[in-house]
Amino acid sequence: KQHQLAVGESGKVRIATVEEVRERLKWLKRKRDEEKKDEVINLEERLEVARE
Amino acid sequence: AFWDDEKVDDEVDDTDDIDPEAELTAWKLRELKRVKRERDGLIAAEKEREEIERRRNLTAEERE
Amino acid sequence: TALLDERGYSGPLVRGGNPAHLIEKAVRDRITSSLYWLEQCYGLNAATLCDRAAELTAVGGTYGGVGKPTPFLCLAFKMLQLVPERDVILAYLNWRDDEYEKEEEDGEEVKKEEKETGDVVNGSNGRDGEFKYLRALAAFYIRLTWEPVEIYKTLEPLLADMRKLKRRTREGYALTYVDQFVDDLLTKDRICATSLWKLPSRTMLEDLDLLEPRESPLGEELEELEREQEEKMDESE
Repeated sequence: KQHQLAVGESGKVRIATVEEVRERLKWLKRKRDEEKKDEVINLEERLEVARE
Repeated sequence: AFWDDEKVDDEVDDTDDIDPEAELTAWKLRELKRVKRERDGLIAAEKEREEIERRRNLTAEERE
Repeated sequence: TALLDERGYSGPLVRGGNPAHLIEKAVRDRITSSLYWLEQCYGLNAATLCDRAAELTAVGGTYGGVGKPTPFLCLAFKMLQLVPERDVILAYLNWRDDEYEKEEEDGEEVKKEEKETGDVVNGSNGRDGEFKYLRALAAFYIRLTWEPVEIYKTLEPLLADMRKLKRRTREGYALTYVDQFVDDLLTKDRICATSLWKLPSRTMLEDLDLLEPRESPLGEELEELEREQEEKMDESE
């Protein structure tokens, strides 16, 4: 999907605006934070299992 | 990753804020070195200018 | 592609030439034949390039016996093809998530400490640029393509960014810092397998009244630090 977004139907890469860049960065930041949170949760779960 | 077929020891950790105080101190030292280097550069440039000036002021006789 | 063709190039000129040529021919060839380039860089635009940059784990030029290009260098080359507008480059360099800060107001200790640390080094610019490798990438691009006064003005605030960076070397990895990397960009003539064109010295631009003298973010703390350093030196003698 990302690929289609960037290349478009004509096969030519569509130029991104600065707003799109900022949106992208915001999205990437959220994604990274989610992943970090999951990591912590996983770690906590594993610790709990180990304790039992 | 798939594009990376070279296996090397990677012991370098780039995680920030493990020891914020030590990291800040280390940065201050780097910054201090930069400031000193800039200052030394200025002094050297000033000296060079004086030297050029001095030579320019020498008369032809004095130069001989 | 048209961008790579010597004669066919019709894109914007940087420093009087095709910006892609700011990377040496031999290195360019290695980039365009690398797996990372072929599989991860195709079809990227200025927005989707962020996806790749967010995954970066090191800065660097080429490595290993054959001189494989790092993803960092491949993305830099991609930028030289795309020639993004100035605002995009500045977003790469300085973007930070404002909303996030608000949500985290009651947040953890670590966050607070980070803010205090930021204050010490004159605040704002020390920790801008959320993705530090993207920030380094933008800094590298700016050093290659912008004009001297703009380079100093835009990059020097990053000398307050003490975050760690991994640098891929020929044999392995080394530790550097955002401030160190930027200092290298401003003072060295070669970095990341790329020759940097000669940047006029800061002093020269100051003499021409094009730049104000740089004020260190250390501010008043500077003298105190210097005294401490001298004392340490005396002791060790």
